[in-house]
Amino acid sequence: MPIAAFVLKRLAGLVGVLLGMSLLIFGIVHLLPGNVAYAILGEFATPAAVAQLELKLGLKDPLPLQYWHWLDGMLHGDFGLSIVMNKPAAALIVEALGRSALLAGFAFLIVAAGGISLGLYAATHRGQTSDRVLTLAQFGLLAIPEFFWAIVCVLVFASWLNLLPATGYAPISEGIGSWAAHLVLPVLVLSFGLVAHVSRLTRSSMIEVLDSRYVLAARARGFAERRVLWRHALPNALLPAITVLAIDAGLLIGGIVVIETVFAYPGLGRLLVFAIERHDLPLLQVGMMVVTAIYALANFVAEVLYAVLNPRIRVGGAAA
Amino acid sequence: MPDALTLTDAALKIEALSVAYPSRGGWLQALDNVSLAIPPGGVLGLVGESGSGKSTVVLALLGLLGPAAKITAQRLSYGGHDLLREAPTLRGRRIGVVFQDTTAALNPALTIGSQLVEPMRLHLGTEPRAAWQRGTDLLAELGVPRPAQVMKSYAHQLSGGMKQRVGIATALASEPDLLLLDEPTTALDVTIEAQILSLLDELRVRRNLSMLLVSHNLGIVDRLCDRVSVLYAGRLAESGTTRDVLHRPRHPYTKGLLAALPRPDRPHAGRLAPIPGGLPDLTRPDPGCNFRPRCAFAVDGCEKPQALRGELHEVSCHRVDEIADQEWPVEPAPVATGKTARKPLPLLEAEGLSARFGGGGWLARMLGKSTGVLAVDQVSLSINTGEVVGLVGESGCGKSTLGRLMLRLLPARNGTLNFDGGPVEPEASRDFRRRAQVVFQNSGTSLNPRQTVGMILGRAVRWFDMARGPAVATEVDRLLDLVRLPRAYAARYPHQLSGGEKQRIGIARALASRPDFLVCDEAVSALDVSVQAAVLNLLRDLRDELGVAYLFISHDIGVIAHIADRIAVMYQGTIVEEGPVDDVLHPPYHPYTELLLSSVPLIGRDRREPVAPPATGTPAASEGCKFAARCPRKLGPVCDTLAPPLQQAGPGHAIRCHIPLPELAAVPHWLGSPA
Repeated sequence: MPIAAFVLKRLAGLVGVLLGMSLLIFGIVHLLPGNVAYAILGEFATPAAVAQLELKLGLKDPLPLQYWHWLDGMLHGDFGLSIVMNKPAAALIVEALGRSALLAGFAFLIVAAGGISLGLYAATHRGQTSDRVLTLAQFGLLAIPEFFWAIVCVLVFASWLNLLPATGYAPISEGIGSWAAHLVLPVLVLSFGLVAHVSRLTRSSMIEVLDSRYVLAARARGFAERRVLWRHALPNALLPAITVLAIDAGLLIGGIVVIETVFAYPGLGRLLVFAIERHDLPLLQVGMMVVTAIYALANFVAEVLYAVLNPRIRVGGAAA
Repeated sequence: MPDALTLTDAALKIEALSVAYPSRGGWLQALDNVSLAIPPGGVLGLVGESGSGKSTVVLALLGLLGPAAKITAQRLSYGGHDLLREAPTLRGRRIGVVFQDTTAALNPALTIGSQLVEPMRLHLGTEPRAAWQRGTDLLAELGVPRPAQVMKSYAHQLSGGMKQRVGIATALASEPDLLLLDEPTTALDVTIEAQILSLLDELRVRRNLSMLLVSHNLGIVDRLCDRVSVLYAGRLAESGTTRDVLHRPRHPYTKGLLAALPRPDRPHAGRLAPIPGGLPDLTRPDPGCNFRPRCAFAVDGCEKPQALRGELHEVSCHRVDEIADQEWPVEPAPVATGKTARKPLPLLEAEGLSARFGGGGWLARMLGKSTGVLAVDQVSLSINTGEVVGLVGESGCGKSTLGRLMLRLLPARNGTLNFDGGPVEPEASRDFRRRAQVVFQNSGTSLNPRQTVGMILGRAVRWFDMARGPAVATEVDRLLDLVRLPRAYAARYPHQLSGGEKQRIGIARALASRPDFLVCDEAVSALDVSVQAAVLNLLRDLRDELGVAYLFISHDIGVIAHIADRIAVMYQGTIVEEGPVDDVLHPPYHPYTELLLSSVPLIGRDRREPVAPPATGTPAASEGCKFAARCPRKLGPVCDTLAPPLQQAGPGHAIRCHIPLPELAAVPHWLGSPA
């Protein structure tokens, strides 16, 4: 299949997923208990005032119409207002997303570099003590939830050693040192589990490749072990790891609610939690939409990457 | 013959090589005191069944056995270099390797060109552009069409035969003078195999290559090798010139291997002679002759260590002279039950069956734009009661699909199927399912590993209501008797069975419903010859005892010639020739049958070249003959445009070809015995 057709097909699928998710998100949000008008006016509002506001916000319209207005607005770049903060939801989200992307970006670099290199190391030292120690550590990181490591890190580095700030965020305008110091702990904890995951995956796919006939054939052709590893084994072993990394990138940006909450980090995750607590439904809807879109996009990138990197998909068909 | 004086330093010498691996049961003695030698320009064949240690020899020579293996040898040298120390610097430079199954041996992520250029760049220091040119030339030399395009392709874009040529090219790229060939043609069709063998023969002369050919196929060893060594369970049984070893075998194991081989030049050769039992436990090597438990000639004295004796023809058997004139005994036939003399009646009649695969999605189908492959094209075939019809053809010709169509396991696009006088509807009746059964190639994978043999067979018995309650166990006993396995096997699990035993259970399960018709789809292809012979004998006896008819599908013409009464030859979905065994194996042949028969490596055939087909063109999509594009005897445009007529060459012998019968008859008899 030509690669362009493949990408187009996946792109169509992506649009479908987003539409479906928007319907689901809208439905869920409207199933939540609570009333936007009360949330805005406070609990002592008169029923008349509530009714008037509901009319003004279009809350009395039939649900399909409300959904259409919302969707239509988003397609025209109108993401609605945050009712609690009385600001455009888009601006709030972009600001929070930027800070989350900062965390995610650094964590991603650590996951990619650390996960792959640890996996390769373990695969080439299979069965030796270092491999066993790594395996044990990885299972520990995978099995124990990240908020536990977050608390341990805060206790050790902030309370006990007093090296780093425990929580919060400092803009870069307040000095690069303080900015970086606030990032270290959340980034570290965020990468723990994923490093373990990626390195386990890299290890097993590298081992599979090292046991393959073509690696044996490369050795039989008298190539140096380093060349066999880097040129003949690695490109094949990295295929599954790269696609998982692309999906992890989506997970990192969209799913760091726990870490942001524990470290009181003002990112997208915390913004969503805030929206839920305060019944800021327009903000919640858009926030969830953004998270979904990022995740779906990451999946899309993973699939396209896999196709581009794998010659069996990239150049199909017979040549001779 | 190569000039031994100019290349005296390029000889391989193995003296007393032993290899052991650590295993759960202790040290596993994979090779025990093996000595081999290849003179410059010589070709040595190393034969033996799976597990005999053939591939271990190859890996030991390359120094690729891994750190866990314990290797000892008095001498392991190549051209004066000690391979125990210097293998890493010699492999890939002066020693090239071609592995079985190049599909797995070529890197899927690198282009053919880059894999071909790499050894030249690294070992010979060739400039990139020159190396690319040399690679292209090498592919052309090995008969790869459009080499420049192939250089830029990936492995998955090439056919099996092309990949094997590329595999040989990568081994030759650094200009080695010794080539190790590990089952180089095992995964290939006979026609491709014949081409690769001719190619290797040619290369050997042209480049004065020494070769070590590791194979279980005695035919190709006979075709290619000057000398043969027979390996059994890690020890050498026999060594000598190819003529001596394969034509006048002296060791009981070699005699057994040859007697077990079904040969196309000897159709209906009565019963084959299997070798009973299996490989010994290599973690407890027998100090005496390790073939003793399976040997038909074993006597007192065999428990003593046996050394290779003799000068040019070495044999490790102390009775070698006593048994020199004795053949390996043929398994006695069971007592005839008198069912054989039944009058043959048509049992299964297929008329115009077709099947198409692929063909785009549902949209393409709805628009009538199906572009799929016509896997079976209007095939008519009938099978009588108690008859064995052999179906041969290359992989992908539609043999298995036809077998499934005849069982109504796949939906046919059109055509009719009659069974025992009545039509079989597309939704086959329970009665038809009971009376028509199938045996697959790897019965092992179709046996539930969590069930005992008794449960597996009992389930089949109950499913078809053949027995109920305690009678089921009796029925299971009967089935085990039928396939000549001890009744105690009912308590075993599949992993406790050998390959041949699993295949017997597969047959027993197919027989549970007392069928009248059995499709055997490559039912013996995965077995070693010694075991295959026993299963073939069994299938033959069952036909005689139970009067079951078989459609016997195989790519192995020797097997088909041995077991079949009639043969149908299939090419790209059509039956091109059909008739009694002796008629099909003698001229007149269909040109495709001739190509197949001329390609079969036969022991003792003079090394004449097989019929050379022209390079594959695009298959004719029109009404013409499907074989026209490959046919060495193509008449002209008529073959491309007009469907060939079905010519009657004799009673029940039909050939679908435009060439007049007298011309088809005027060709050599390819299976003729050697002069």
